[in-house]
Amino acid sequence: MLKSTTSVSPDCRLEEVIEVMAIHRINGIPVVNEEQKVIGFISQHDIIKAILPNYLGIINSSTFITEFIQLSKKLKEYANHKVEEFMKKSVITVNEDDNEVMAADLLIRNKIHHLPVLRNGYLVGIVTLRDLLKAMIEEEDNYEEEKTQ
Amino acid sequence: MITTVTLNPALDVMMELNNLLPNQYNAVDKVSKIPGGKGINIAKAIAVFGLDTMALGFLGGHAGHFIAENLRGYGITTNFWHIEKETRTNVIIIEHDNKIHTLLSDPGPAISQRDLERFKSIFSRVMSQTRMVTLSGSLPKDVPDDIYYQLIKIAQKKNVQTILDAHGVPFERGLEASPYLAKPDLRASNNRVFNKQIDSQENAIKIAHEILDRDVQIAVISYQDTKDIIATTEGIWLAESVNQQVINIIGTAEAIIAGFAIKLVEENPENIVEIIKFAMACGLASALTDDEEFHTKEDVVKCINCIKITKLK
Repeated sequence: MLKSTTSVSPDCRLEEVIEVMAIHRINGIPVVNEEQKVIGFISQHDIIKAILPNYLGIINSSTFITEFIQLSKKLKEYANHKVEEFMKKSVITVNEDDNEVMAADLLIRNKIHHLPVLRNGYLVGIVTLRDLLKAMIEEEDNYEEEKTQ
Repeated sequence: MITTVTLNPALDVMMELNNLLPNQYNAVDKVSKIPGGKGINIAKAIAVFGLDTMALGFLGGHAGHFIAENLRGYGITTNFWHIEKETRTNVIIIEHDNKIHTLLSDPGPAISQRDLERFKSIFSRVMSQTRMVTLSGSLPKDVPDDIYYQLIKIAQKKNVQTILDAHGVPFERGLEASPYLAKPDLRASNNRVFNKQIDSQENAIKIAHEILDRDVQIAVISYQDTKDIIATTEGIWLAESVNQQVINIIGTAEAIIAGFAIKLVEENPENIVEIIKFAMACGLASALTDDEEFHTKEDVVKCINCIKITKLK
């Protein structure tokens, strides 16, 4: 688990959410209420899908170039809209005590990249598939080391 | 959870060599980079005891990301507000031959009003999961002097206890909000509080009373390297470290604050002598290392018997 609780509030403007993602170098972020409880999730993918629903479908064709200009225009149009308009409200989460296998299962089955981690309902961290892979390969390395000792 | 706030953190870059030759090329023997800032050091000390700790403040740029990742390596949860400008870098030149440490301190980036509001929003939310918050250190440029006052008020609305550890006007403004514990940073203020010099035990006790008069529950005055006055409404105590050779006092203040934060969360506040002893043992454990921090619980436990507490009143 990444012990980072970077999050935004539901009234955060879309422009600012994009800025937070860029500065924090993340592509998804939990949305929390005043009590730091997760009430939604927003990813770059969600933003593009909401602004220009067909864009992701045409990304492999040459028409994406002209649509890119449309995407840019639409983003500017929605810049001041609140993130709660675009966030996923049904968020898949995992508890701090749940194991890595369960976390991996949830990420893969639901085709998501981020899993907010909760303790008593409060956001305490985030798990990504990348973190799990890193943890697994390091565990594999530790296992090999123990074998050779 | 214990939350620490560091509004003006730094990346401390330590460069070690035998002897610095001015105006010449100097090849450095060793370089180390560690996150710096009072609140960050307090969070690291608390993390040694395995307690849930969250670190808040402002970070920016590559230095900011380095600091956040480094803190997470200690098991500390981070929720900094990242700004566009780079977090400041302090360079410490350590000359082994002359035993000289030279600090080159970067003033750091200014904080915009928008960034400040975003930080306060994060702070307010995090108070829902916090039992104790420490507010420490200097302020970055353009942050108002009453910021600690504002943050203490936000914390109090959510029944969170507060520890204030600062100097100058921000400390005095912060006191107006009546934090639970207040400790003036005498090193940063040249031993002055409320425009008065603290150069004796008597003066330290007077200042402690003035702090308590502002409805603070515990006042801590570290008026000498190995002596502290601690005052509460129940009395005044002198805490002394005995039988130990202090190596490095840098970091002891943060260790003491960490000790108070840990024990105030765990213990009944009526056990004030136990709380003081533990906090002072944390400070001593830090002072006995070159590193400016203690590394294990055992380091602190060994020091508890080296603390002498005398009730003065």
